[in-house]
Amino acid sequence: MRKLALAGLIAVSLTGCSGQEETEVLNLYNWSEYMPQEVLDRFEEETGIQVVYTTYDSNEAMYARLKLLEEGGEYDLAVPSTYYVNKMRKEGLLAEIDHSKLEGFDNLDPELVDQEFDEDNAYSVPYLWGTTGLAYDAADLDGENVTAWADLWNDKYQGKVMLTNDMREVFHIGLRVLGYSGNSTSPEEIEQAYEKLAELMPAVRTFNSDAPRMPYLEGETDIGMIWNGEAVMGKEDMPSLEYVYPEEGTIVWLDSFVIPKNANNADAAHQFISFVMQPEISALISEEIGYATPNLAARELLPEAVAGDRSSYPTAEDLTNAEFQKDVGDDAMQVYTRYWERLKSGR
Amino acid sequence: MHRVLQQPFKTAVLLLVWGWLLLLVLTPNLLVVGASLMTRDAGSFLALPLNLDSYRRLLDPLYLEVFLHSLYMAGVTTVFCLLIGYPFAWALSRIGKQRQTLLIFLLIVPFWTNSLVRTYALKLLLATNGLINNALMGLGLIDEPLQLLYTEGAVIIGLVYLLLPFMILPLYSVFEDLRRELLMASHDLGAGKLATFMHVIVPLTLPGVLAGVMLVLLPAMGLFFVADILGGSRNLLVGNVIKNQFLDARDWPFGAAASILLTVAMAVLLFAHRLSRRRLGDEEPAT
Repeated sequence: MRKLALAGLIAVSLTGCSGQEETEVLNLYNWSEYMPQEVLDRFEEETGIQVVYTTYDSNEAMYARLKLLEEGGEYDLAVPSTYYVNKMRKEGLLAEIDHSKLEGFDNLDPELVDQEFDEDNAYSVPYLWGTTGLAYDAADLDGENVTAWADLWNDKYQGKVMLTNDMREVFHIGLRVLGYSGNSTSPEEIEQAYEKLAELMPAVRTFNSDAPRMPYLEGETDIGMIWNGEAVMGKEDMPSLEYVYPEEGTIVWLDSFVIPKNANNADAAHQFISFVMQPEISALISEEIGYATPNLAARELLPEAVAGDRSSYPTAEDLTNAEFQKDVGDDAMQVYTRYWERLKSGR
Repeated sequence: MHRVLQQPFKTAVLLLVWGWLLLLVLTPNLLVVGASLMTRDAGSFLALPLNLDSYRRLLDPLYLEVFLHSLYMAGVTTVFCLLIGYPFAWALSRIGKQRQTLLIFLLIVPFWTNSLVRTYALKLLLATNGLINNALMGLGLIDEPLQLLYTEGAVIIGLVYLLLPFMILPLYSVFEDLRRELLMASHDLGAGKLATFMHVIVPLTLPGVLAGVMLVLLPAMGLFFVADILGGSRNLLVGNVIKNQFLDARDWPFGAAASILLTVAMAVLLFAHRLSRRRLGDEEPAT
């Protein structure tokens, strides 16, 4: 009997109860640390629509979830990177954007709309764009030697390197170091990139895509990859965190709002996109989380310290050799996935 | 034992139990077996034809190595749990009833907090700027912070912390059943303390040890979030590989096959456990 009682005790777990309310709800599925709380609060205040905010740390995880819950209409809005917008659009996972319901679309940078991955922005609306570059802690190491991705392979940084937990990005640097395109679809090139990255693995302390600034701030890692917005946010807490555009070229990406096909509240999703496209809100977001807004009207509102920060808004020179992430197609993705698995299982 | 039980009540309970097992244990497991035999499909996760490709892939030296390494980590975890849990359970069964209740309660209290949260708490302790390093540096024992986080050691600490109660509880229950008379008899017959321990206590508590080992060893191989948070998101455990197949690579058949591998390992252990009970003449009559 005592055993039973013990089992019962163990089985007890706290279950949260939430009251059923009649308020309208928007289910927003976003990258972690990718939207200031203030924006959500103000949206709720202005529209009365309650935002249920859920986060993910990789395009793959987001995609797998949306795909699995395809019928359920679990989410009203998600924020994939370009190559996943393309993939999801082709697979019929997305609902068309009703441009008549949007306000402020004209504010967006003409260079970032109507792109190959989604012509006429039929399925997506750009949210933020950014770069993935090198970060290092100037307090712990001499920055003069940190100019290129290849510097990560320096023996000095053994056990101090951090990579993002992002398959495409990690392979991007492997490919670039070897002189290939970061969007390579060639199995041979991907394999070579894997071999190169496998050499780096013993030096790698951790992979992080939840908040890539944290291992630097916590003192666990001194050098590695970072997203520019994370570098900007990190620098506020740790001034010695430096952001570098590597010689082989930084990775450029763009994340866009999309509405899953069976979204329960597509209207609220459109409302939210319009809300974010207001210059004032877009400026607030860019200032708070350090990524670049595609909203040109918002850029005019940004204080000089933000608009002139090369980490957030790279100059043409910073973007030498930079490559925009592209969809590589399912076949190449399978090759990447296979080597990614290998890479992460290596010791 | 409970012959007084009313027949309808017994039937209802049995129906409930069997229904529960069929619906929530057998069906999901059959689904996993089914999934493991299908083919990966980019569009709908699973597709025909049926084949054994996923199992063949498990034989890839890479995954074999992950499995063996995972088994090693789980083994170390189990040994530590046993080393701590055995004396703990023994002591627990020897103290007064009131304190016993209190201690068992304290053992179970952490379960009320989500294990994910507790793992994050461990991260704060082990971090470079964490409590342990700060304390050691403050005491002047070390000059440079130790690299504790994102190591295999950190993962093992996390696993031991999370799984220790599962070792202690079955051990406690066998120690509770250990009759004093047997120890006295052993003493009367001239056995020393060590001999009594080796020839009386150990064999009698062996079923508890095996139960504890089962409850620790296999879950340890599956607790992917511990390896993610404390080990730096590497594939240190079979659980990580399984999770990646379902959440990132979207290769469900392979993920399912890998989890079947764990289930089979569990079955082998259960079988060994039964065997040992039978050898010890402790088999309970079937009801």
